[in-house]
Amino acid sequence: MCVAAMGVVFVHRARFAALILLAVVGLTVTLVFAYYSAPDLALTQIAVEAVTILLLLLALYYLPQDAPPERAVNRALRDFFLGCLAGGGVGWLTWAMLTRPLDSISSYFIAYSLQQGGGANVVNVLLVDFRGYDTYGEITVIVVAALGVAAMLAGVKLPQRATDDSGRPWSLETSHLPLDLLVRLLLPLALLVSAYLFLRGHNAPGGGFVAGLVTAVAVALLYVGAGLAWTRERLKLSFRAVAAAGLLIAGLTGLAAMAGFDRPFLTSAHGHLTWPVIGEIPLASAMMFDLGVYLTVVGATLLVLTRLGDPVVVPAQGV
Amino acid sequence: MELLLAIGIGVLTTAGVFLLLRERTFSVLLGLTLLSYAVNLFVFATGGLRVGAPPLLSGHVAPPYADPLAQALVLTAIVISFAMTAFMVVLAIAARHRLGDDRVDPPGEQVE
Repeated sequence: MCVAAMGVVFVHRARFAALILLAVVGLTVTLVFAYYSAPDLALTQIAVEAVTILLLLLALYYLPQDAPPERAVNRALRDFFLGCLAGGGVGWLTWAMLTRPLDSISSYFIAYSLQQGGGANVVNVLLVDFRGYDTYGEITVIVVAALGVAAMLAGVKLPQRATDDSGRPWSLETSHLPLDLLVRLLLPLALLVSAYLFLRGHNAPGGGFVAGLVTAVAVALLYVGAGLAWTRERLKLSFRAVAAAGLLIAGLTGLAAMAGFDRPFLTSAHGHLTWPVIGEIPLASAMMFDLGVYLTVVGATLLVLTRLGDPVVVPAQGV
Repeated sequence: MELLLAIGIGVLTTAGVFLLLRERTFSVLLGLTLLSYAVNLFVFATGGLRVGAPPLLSGHVAPPYADPLAQALVLTAIVISFAMTAFMVVLAIAARHRLGDDRVDPPGEQVE
């Protein structure tokens, strides 16, 4: 991880190589989460990693691919000094914190997660139940960021480039046959995986965030593999509406607790539902909230990616 | 292992701050991403490090569990930092398109 991070600094002028090294750092972070018993975080990080790299690749398309060398040596030295100061401080602080005895309030959450939240995955119960307000605020932030992206790109006609920086022409063929076939096969499977992650989220690693990201990645891959035009024809769905619906569902779940049961906003109720084939599924009102989170993440992520990746949509209909 | 993680977070922060201070927008984006990795790892580390003790109360894992609170905080932070990055990327693209340049500093104020 250290090597890759330093590599990003050294090659940051050759931007494509820097991006690949950045992905290495991200995957190492995923491994750290997985090793130190945080399966939820590892799942989320790896999905976000895929979307982030896709996003930065799209950014590279619109930004210059190589940066000219900077002239000011003084400035580089000063920045390096500042960086070392900050890094050393944070590293020292982390070490100091990790070597001291730990007293956390989380034993409360572990003790009451099953009783009050009705779920065995404490991380997920924390997100959708104990700290529901926080998560509600967070998905609001995501929607606002996605709408901000749409608004900033609204008046801009992005330049389409015929050649790259060294003069080679871009391939304009939008569909890629082997990937195309693979993606069409993969999409239902990916959707199934995301549904599985979503349903088991309350008791095992998974949940709305991860499921939403998996769906978003699958659909994004569809755009890459099957081509923009093909997907645009078949996927007549307003991502903005999906995100808004998610936020609305999450909010209504919270209000239902107030109106129907006379409890504070976002109090969750839970029971168990037995489905014929699948068996017993723990059903909590938090599930509805999680569904809201899921829809918000899918809508917002795809809104951002299609805004950047599919410029034809922008002036025509406004996805 | 604690020392190793502390060094890792330190190096990530160093690289992140250095890149954040460059004068081109794409480097700033890379720096921001590295810095958000460092911050996420730091918040995660506040819960202490435990191997093989995910906070799942299904009976397979015995207590003590890893700290679920720190994990929940980081999970939201990961998704938020993605939204942040997306916003910054588009800000950079829009700025380049409107100003015709991808510098962070205004042209008059460049350090020689």
